[in-house]
Amino acid sequence: MVFSTPASDTSLPTPGAALAASRAEIRGSSLWRDAWRRLLRNKLAVAGGVVVILLCLLAIFADVIAPQSYTKPNFGRLYESPSRDFPLGTDQLGRDILSRMIYGARVSMLVGLGAQVIVVLIGVPIGALSGYIGGRTDLLLTRFVDVMYAFPRLLFVILVMSMLGAGLMNIFIALGLTGWVGIARQTRAQVLSIKEKEFVESARALGAGFWRVMNRHVLPSALTPIVVSITFGIPEAIFTEAALSFIGVGINPPTPSWGQMVGENQQFLRSYWHLCVFPSIAIAVTMLSFTFFGDGVRDALDPKLK
Amino acid sequence: MLSYVVSRLLWLVPTLLAMALVTFLVMHATPGSPLDPVAEGANALSPEAQKNLAEAYGLDKPLHVQFGIFLQKAVRGDFGTSFVYKTRTVAEIMAETFPVSLLLGSMALALAVVGGLTLGVLAAVYQNRSWDYVSVSVATLGVSVPNFVLAVFLIVIFSFILPIFPTGGWNSPRDWVLPTVTLALAPMGIIARFTRSSMLEVIRSDYIMTARAKGLAETPVILKHVLKNGFIPVVTLLGPMFAAVGTGSFFVESIFRIPGMGRFFVLSMTGRDYPMIMAVVLIYGAFLALMNLVVDLLYGILDPRIRY
Amino acid sequence: MRTPMRISEAQIDLFARRLESIGVGRRDFLKVVCAMAAFGGLGFATEARAARPSRPGPGEKLAKEQVLRYGGGGWYQSDASSHDFNKDLYCTGVPALFAGLMVFNADFVSVPWMATKVEGNKEGSVWTFTIRKDSRWSDNSPVTARDFEWSWKRQLDPATAAPYASFLYDLKNGEAFNKKQMTDASQVGVRAKDDWTLEVILDGPRGYFPVLAAYLAALPAHRGAVEKHGDKWTEAANIVCNGPFTLEAWEHNKQYVLKKNPYYYGAKGVHLNRVVIPIIPVASGALPYENNELDMTLVQPGDLKRLQSDPRMSKDVFRYPFPGTWYLLPQTTKPPFDNLKVRKAVAHAIDRENVVKVSQGLAVPAWSMIPPGFPGAVDDAKIKAIQKYDKKLALEQLKGTPYEGGKNWPKITLSMRDEALGAKPLAEAVQAVLLDSLNMKTDLEVLEPRVFRDRLWKQDLQFIWIRWFMDYPDPHNEYFDTFYGKKTTGRRQAWINDAFDRELEAGRDTRDPKKRLEHYKKAEEIMQQDVGYVPVAWVVRYAAKKPWVGGIERNKAGDFVADGNIYVDMLEHVYITERG
Repeated sequence: MVFSTPASDTSLPTPGAALAASRAEIRGSSLWRDAWRRLLRNKLAVAGGVVVILLCLLAIFADVIAPQSYTKPNFGRLYESPSRDFPLGTDQLGRDILSRMIYGARVSMLVGLGAQVIVVLIGVPIGALSGYIGGRTDLLLTRFVDVMYAFPRLLFVILVMSMLGAGLMNIFIALGLTGWVGIARQTRAQVLSIKEKEFVESARALGAGFWRVMNRHVLPSALTPIVVSITFGIPEAIFTEAALSFIGVGINPPTPSWGQMVGENQQFLRSYWHLCVFPSIAIAVTMLSFTFFGDGVRDALDPKLK
Repeated sequence: MLSYVVSRLLWLVPTLLAMALVTFLVMHATPGSPLDPVAEGANALSPEAQKNLAEAYGLDKPLHVQFGIFLQKAVRGDFGTSFVYKTRTVAEIMAETFPVSLLLGSMALALAVVGGLTLGVLAAVYQNRSWDYVSVSVATLGVSVPNFVLAVFLIVIFSFILPIFPTGGWNSPRDWVLPTVTLALAPMGIIARFTRSSMLEVIRSDYIMTARAKGLAETPVILKHVLKNGFIPVVTLLGPMFAAVGTGSFFVESIFRIPGMGRFFVLSMTGRDYPMIMAVVLIYGAFLALMNLVVDLLYGILDPRIRY
Repeated sequence: MRTPMRISEAQIDLFARRLESIGVGRRDFLKVVCAMAAFGGLGFATEARAARPSRPGPGEKLAKEQVLRYGGGGWYQSDASSHDFNKDLYCTGVPALFAGLMVFNADFVSVPWMATKVEGNKEGSVWTFTIRKDSRWSDNSPVTARDFEWSWKRQLDPATAAPYASFLYDLKNGEAFNKKQMTDASQVGVRAKDDWTLEVILDGPRGYFPVLAAYLAALPAHRGAVEKHGDKWTEAANIVCNGPFTLEAWEHNKQYVLKKNPYYYGAKGVHLNRVVIPIIPVASGALPYENNELDMTLVQPGDLKRLQSDPRMSKDVFRYPFPGTWYLLPQTTKPPFDNLKVRKAVAHAIDRENVVKVSQGLAVPAWSMIPPGFPGAVDDAKIKAIQKYDKKLALEQLKGTPYEGGKNWPKITLSMRDEALGAKPLAEAVQAVLLDSLNMKTDLEVLEPRVFRDRLWKQDLQFIWIRWFMDYPDPHNEYFDTFYGKKTTGRRQAWINDAFDRELEAGRDTRDPKKRLEHYKKAEEIMQQDVGYVPVAWVVRYAAKKPWVGGIERNKAGDFVADGNIYVDMLEHVYITERG
């Protein structure tokens, strides 16, 4: 099973968040400035953030950075260990592993972010609607969310991938379709706790419409858990892509993906260690960075913890 | 309390029903025939044989009828015969594999809870000191390395470099070690991180401040108040975690050759083993729901403020 | 031996169809007909196989513990659905539990086994098997002709719903009975005249029947066990076996444990007391073998080079015959491959020497369908030149097409089936050389086997990476069964060429072996000129056994022969020597 990180999956009551939310209304953007300052003070989070930014740059400028083509084989130099020519060695086609890993960052980032976009697009509206409207709609939506929540995630992702076929776009869809539950629950919880607040009540009393209330008052306050949820959802998506590619329903070659590199070669760890070890490290470092960064963001936005 | 439990259990019915329906529809929408022979290299069946088999499995009927039949039987605990393991019923297979996964999962979770709490408490008590960093690193490593990678690393280290454990199998307690550790590390990391932050929250809370101000010794304070209150949020984690770990992990079970239920999470799908897919999803769903219920009740016991 | 009987072409076709019906499509059927040739067109021996228990060679001393642990690398990679070969030969169970009337020896010649003698009438439409009296089921009951009569009728009985019952349609009224056109089982052409004589009456002349009788699908089932336990009769607690081994334990999804069957007539010559077969997914590679958890295993590409370069283990590794061909199918109905020039460019663009390097020794460059050493193999400079790797020539082909200079390619998807035989690295290498030679960018789509087959038969795929494992060593198999344009079902490609089809028909209908081969050679040439397919690589396979595993049989060519679809007689001969 691929584990979900707690922040993305459990709808724990976070008393601090509500507090922060009301403060946010009072002090507006200063909350963000405070949070930013707190984030900068957290060394691990900064380190994580730097790595995340580096990874993003790597993903964006892969064409420029990669020393070699990720598709170009070198049949005279298959399965070579790291050397001066190939800092991380070559793979089964003699391709430069370093270059492939740099391009792999692109896939991982795309999967991480792309899936989160879908997750947010599905999860937030459902959660917000459910919490705001309440009553029977809420009950229905909550039940639906509960059903989705009870699904074994990996099995469901595989089901959807089998239905759609392999490919990057389909991974977005599969991850998005199965991953929005956590964020929907959290959004709902936030909206519930905020909508009864006086300032929201008064806005409604003053005749503000649904969208206005949502946009101006409710969603900004619910932003904290959403942001936190996203920072945790990204590594989870990267992880799931790795697992899917490991099973063989992930990305189509020749596009390199870390998970695929690990999955295809883990059984040959004894023969060609470098094929599996470097991408594993890449996955681990990415996960670590996002986790530290996510922790930092949560702590920063939720000042009660610090 | 009782009515709460009953209503939760009653809600389970529509939940499982909806899960069954969604799975059923997705499964039938997936290309690839379940009637194709399983064996690699087997010839495609003749149209007549396909027709006969479809009849035998009831796949020739309209979808809603099939679903109806499935429900009727499932209510009685009869999930039918596996399409892949043709002589065995799904119930039999589950009865055989579920306990294995449960054992593995329980051991892994026990290890995860003990290790995770220890690491988490250490980290919280020695916040921002070296112990904190050590335990956070260990914990985060557990969450960060995919378990299929971890499994292979452990095999290379503990089967070849230090020949202590076998590469797989499920015969003696010696075989249990590597898979248990592999499976435990991720939840251990999660528990440790969660324990750390919830402990920190408690340590900084007013009542602990008060207790300290009153001059209570550091150790009893931590043990009595912090541990208890810090543990409560961790409990909420255990439900889904136990469901995930207890129903087995595909990767760990297939890499270590463990005859558990986890491998069916993937094999049932790739084998288009309809009865098995349905059973796996529903068992997991029911198990998860029950675990969540248990956890919520436990939560209430631990935290007297909560009333149902 | 009797004088060999002449088997007509029509019968050969029928024979092929029977085998096809049970999917003896894969690999080894090849040697059957090889052997048929060796036996003057018969492919079976009529007299009992000589008792030839394996004996340790000089310097070898039998170990006290005769236990073999084998599997892995693709052998027994998932739990069997049953061991009921009589109902479903693809149950993936352990064949050594049952003994049929005939058995294939290491040269794939069908020799009598539970029979001592087989006699046909003049035209080969009635066959009489004399059953041996000295072999018993593991419950100490005799193995009689009635067991076979009952078992074959069971397979044909529509109530059994045996998926490959058509295998026995040669039996008189077999098809009608199976298709519920008649209900009287006694009309089916198999009859125990007494306990030791089985008479098989066929639908017409079937000179090959004794070969069929050696297949897994013709294995018997134990009536008592089936009637008592139903589908569960092959569980360890219920099973009754007549093979050299019985099933001591079947721990589902974990392992099979076999025990020597003391009632088997050749038990004295069987060395192994116990065989342990753990169920190991392919992904475990050679790890269990290297960690001494197995005595014998198949070798995967990622492990081969390392094992071969290991001073201790290099002696364990042995190559075994496995004829098969990897090739590309450009779908001629889909652009850009509807353009012959593009197809020719592709044929010249494949740098085969380099592509096979990625297989790490498990493939060699191919220039035609049939690997060297098999009937119909062509060693012809003219044919080799048609798809010779030549980058310049490849690009030249594109002149005058919309893709001149390797530009304007549409989206091209290369599809393959998900399988763990090192297929993917080869496909990736093909992708790479196409990009290099023609600037043709392709997406590789690895489809689930079921989905792949579905779309393959619908000819829905644009560009296909596929293999053909030889069924039987006759060009008819390589060309007719795969590429014949008038085939109504199971065609892999949309490509059709009338001239090609005519050569195949001529090859089928010609008697003179030399002239036949000429037709097939012509067919190969036509197909390559029109680029109906692009040959890429021929398959090579390896297995490994510990030094203490002895008794693996060799064929006439001197190669080791391991258990496969055809030959399943390995365990009976294996022994364990003392570890020196």
